[in-house]
Amino acid sequence: DPVGNMASVNSSDWRAICEQFTTALNLTEVESRKDPENDPFRSKYKAREILREIYSALKNFEATEADSETSGERGEEQVVDGEKDGQCFYGDSPAGWRAAKLAAVEYFLGVNHIETEELSAGQEHLMNCMKLIDKWSTSSMNVSLVIHVKNQLGILWSGRGETETAKAFLETAEGTYLRYMKKEGSPPTDMTEYFSTEENQLTHQERTKRFELAYTHTKYYLAQVYQYLGETELSATYCHSTLQRQLQLNQFNPMEWALNAATLSQYYINKGLYMEGRHCLSAATVISGLAGEVPSEAAAEESEREQERRDQLRQKRADIARCWIKYCLNLLLDAKKALEDNIGELDGDRQEELKAARRAEVEEEEKSRKSALLFGSEDTFDSIASLEEKVQSLTPLDFTDARALFLVGQTYVTQAKEYFEMDGFVTDHIEILQDHSALFRALAFFEDDLERRCKMHKRRVDMLEPICNDLNGHYYLVIRRQLMFELAEIYNEMMDLKLTVANCQSDSETLDSHTIKKLNHLCGASAKFFEMFLESLRSPEGKLPEVLEEEVLRPALVARFRVARLYSRVICPVISDKLENLNKSLDHYKYVAQYGDAHPEASAAVETELELSREMVSLLPIKINRLKAQMISNN
Amino acid sequence: RSPGSGTKLLYSSVCSSRSGDNDSIKVFVRVRPLTQDTGLTTDGDQNLCLTVTSNNTIRLHSKPEPRTFTYDHVADMDVSQDSVFAGVAKNIVESCMNGYNGTIFAYGQTGSGKTFTMLGPSDSDNFTDELRGVIPRSFEYLFSLINKEVERSKSFLCKCSFIEIYNEQIYDLLDSASATLFLRENIKKGVFVEGAVEKFVTSASEAYQVLSMGWRNRRVASTSMNRESSRSHAVFTMALESKETVNKLVNIRTSQLNLVDLAGSERQKDTHTEGSRLKEASSINLSLMCLGQVIMSLVDVANGKNRHICYRDSKLTFLLRDSLGGNAKTYIIANVHPGSKCFGETLSTLQFAQRAKLIKNKAMINEDSQGNVR
Repeated sequence: DPVGNMASVNSSDWRAICEQFTTALNLTEVESRKDPENDPFRSKYKAREILREIYSALKNFEATEADSETSGERGEEQVVDGEKDGQCFYGDSPAGWRAAKLAAVEYFLGVNHIETEELSAGQEHLMNCMKLIDKWSTSSMNVSLVIHVKNQLGILWSGRGETETAKAFLETAEGTYLRYMKKEGSPPTDMTEYFSTEENQLTHQERTKRFELAYTHTKYYLAQVYQYLGETELSATYCHSTLQRQLQLNQFNPMEWALNAATLSQYYINKGLYMEGRHCLSAATVISGLAGEVPSEAAAEESEREQERRDQLRQKRADIARCWIKYCLNLLLDAKKALEDNIGELDGDRQEELKAARRAEVEEEEKSRKSALLFGSEDTFDSIASLEEKVQSLTPLDFTDARALFLVGQTYVTQAKEYFEMDGFVTDHIEILQDHSALFRALAFFEDDLERRCKMHKRRVDMLEPICNDLNGHYYLVIRRQLMFELAEIYNEMMDLKLTVANCQSDSETLDSHTIKKLNHLCGASAKFFEMFLESLRSPEGKLPEVLEEEVLRPALVARFRVARLYSRVICPVISDKLENLNKSLDHYKYVAQYGDAHPEASAAVETELELSREMVSLLPIKINRLKAQMISNN
Repeated sequence: RSPGSGTKLLYSSVCSSRSGDNDSIKVFVRVRPLTQDTGLTTDGDQNLCLTVTSNNTIRLHSKPEPRTFTYDHVADMDVSQDSVFAGVAKNIVESCMNGYNGTIFAYGQTGSGKTFTMLGPSDSDNFTDELRGVIPRSFEYLFSLINKEVERSKSFLCKCSFIEIYNEQIYDLLDSASATLFLRENIKKGVFVEGAVEKFVTSASEAYQVLSMGWRNRRVASTSMNRESSRSHAVFTMALESKETVNKLVNIRTSQLNLVDLAGSERQKDTHTEGSRLKEASSINLSLMCLGQVIMSLVDVANGKNRHICYRDSKLTFLLRDSLGGNAKTYIIANVHPGSKCFGETLSTLQFAQRAKLIKNKAMINEDSQGNVR
């Protein structure tokens, strides 16, 4: 009998202990969930008693064995020797077995105390557990227990706000895992196996699964710890590898995984890491497909469960589509930012420069792709890769590329709107429309033909104006303000474009009446929406605020400024009308200038507008007086 | 999701707002009297953990240094129900008459006096009781205002609904037989609970009857259906519609008065002092749902970019979106118990209330800074 302890493994006493252990586990994991509100820890207290009994029974075993033979003590010496020689006999020694078993009971007692809100006692048990096995932490018998106990200590200390301590425990858990995998790598003993009779040993596969899951949790906790410590990048990396491990080890719920991956894409996109963002999104789309077909409307009407499933799947897929929209939109906006000159037009020289640099970049991309952390299991890898290929991850540099990206975004807009219908999801639906409008706006930047560009803006008006008019301002004040401002800006932009087109053909003195009508219409529409926005700032009693709140300070003053400009640009043949418009214009400029005088703190937000308004306040009266004089002389 | 996550999200939306002077949310702190039957003090322990130092400051006897908190109003133990009403609700009811939404939240740990403040003594159904709370008094005041207006040829329509949010599920307290309900949005009506029973009322006593019926159902549900009321939020909504004909033009105004009894604040422990607690994995169904929350917080760090976060609001914050930094008048009544045993809870309630002051109307305008001047 090579292992003293093995003799007892099949004895009836030992069998009794195993049964007790199973009962304790069942009480903790299953029964405890049915405990009444006023006695929430009933089952856990019962489990604790049993664990204590097991503990003393184990101690008794130890005592009897030590009495009957002296080999126990020798066994321990052997281990120490083994350590000195750099080898580990521990797994084979009876002392080692006993220590591991005691350690496991300490672990379960520790968790039990923590769950019943006796943290210090819990901590003590966990530390006892560590002491018993820490020397042999990377042996195949102990390594799983070591990772579990360190995970628990991490949770314990972070609960006390001692994040650094928590981090230290979790990082050593990680180190232990890595050392073990380098050294041994075969699936280690699960701690529940310490207390199972021979016929109940786990399969190779099950051992692997449990061990890897424990380590996945280490990663997951580290992701949180790093987030609390403000180590954002590291935290993101750990979120990424948690997801990666879940996928590879097939330990995930598809819809939840997909949503987490889609959320992670938003992190990358915000960092400007589009290749990583695209990768997360492609994986999210593919994995969400594993959740199965959306139940039909008919099936949903039959059963409540199908109804809920239908709703969940549709909603989550629509959410993933919305993450894709943001991907396309941000990429287009970044491209615009990279290419625009100081008046917001496409800079041709810059475009050529970037195109030349692009060739080198493409090669770089190939390299970095290989080093990037990739998602995918054997089955899904190809589908994810082929989805990725359909969307570019480099900033578009010309209209063709921009249009391709726009179209992808537009497809996802359609998809997202299928679930987030206006009737039922007003806020979501409008947010999607706002994104759609923003996609058009970004695309228009790449369009050379001014007439076609104008048409794109018209599409934006068509999708936003009816909603702005229908939306109840009482409940959707903020959204309505956004829409009014956006519409005002679109009309303003369209007017600028029309004027540029008209000026190319002839000088402004000889504009035909049709063009003048058109220009004045756009001018009026823009002013109308700016004024609607300003009206929305009135209090319940109808008063305009004396002090503008921080969030509306800049938009409110900018709106004033624009309205002032718009009134001065209306083309009117009758001088008295022109005079009237100029007076309105002056009033608005005065408001901005006076607000700036009364509230010096506002000037930082609207520096340019303020300066120009002050200038106009001094210049416009001269123009007005000249017109007045002209009117008199005409009469 | 844990039962208290409604307030949890409310809390986080409070925290994420920026500071500044703003009157969209006001805070009224009420200290309840010390009695021995609440289970919150041990017998004979008359030590207090706080002192009201003026009508808007309170000093907490913390160690080593005492801390002073400032609010819109602080009411000491001897304050009358009527003056609580006058301080908190009167103004809100008046602006509801003018077409603006109003919300009153009661916040605090279980046993700190939320129900007493909002309703009155629990055993009394008496509408004339001197101890009746904010809600019955609001009804009386609202209908007295309505009656004055009706004389001036204005007509009113008033309907009530009463729902409970427990564990992120919505239950109708006016129809205890109904299945769980869903939130929906409509371009004209805003956010509402689809299918919730609406009872028309024409007087304060009718409204009070609807309220007590719902309140009874809440109690029944908490015993027979295993819903613990200290873990649920109860939202009583009164929708007011006024119609006025001026020069043959019909002018319709609608408004809502929400009266909210939040879940006991002690249930949200983990979000207050223990903000850095790790979310554990539930290994049973491989769920790492909270990973999403971790990532969300990473995304929040980056500003000014377009992003979409896939996780929905809690039901409570969604329903009361307007009241949390929107187009509404909102008052939070923070109830605290002065007993020294309640120090921890009282501190976290006072901190919550202070953060609530920072909620702002988030009117972000997507304005392009490039094209300003051309």
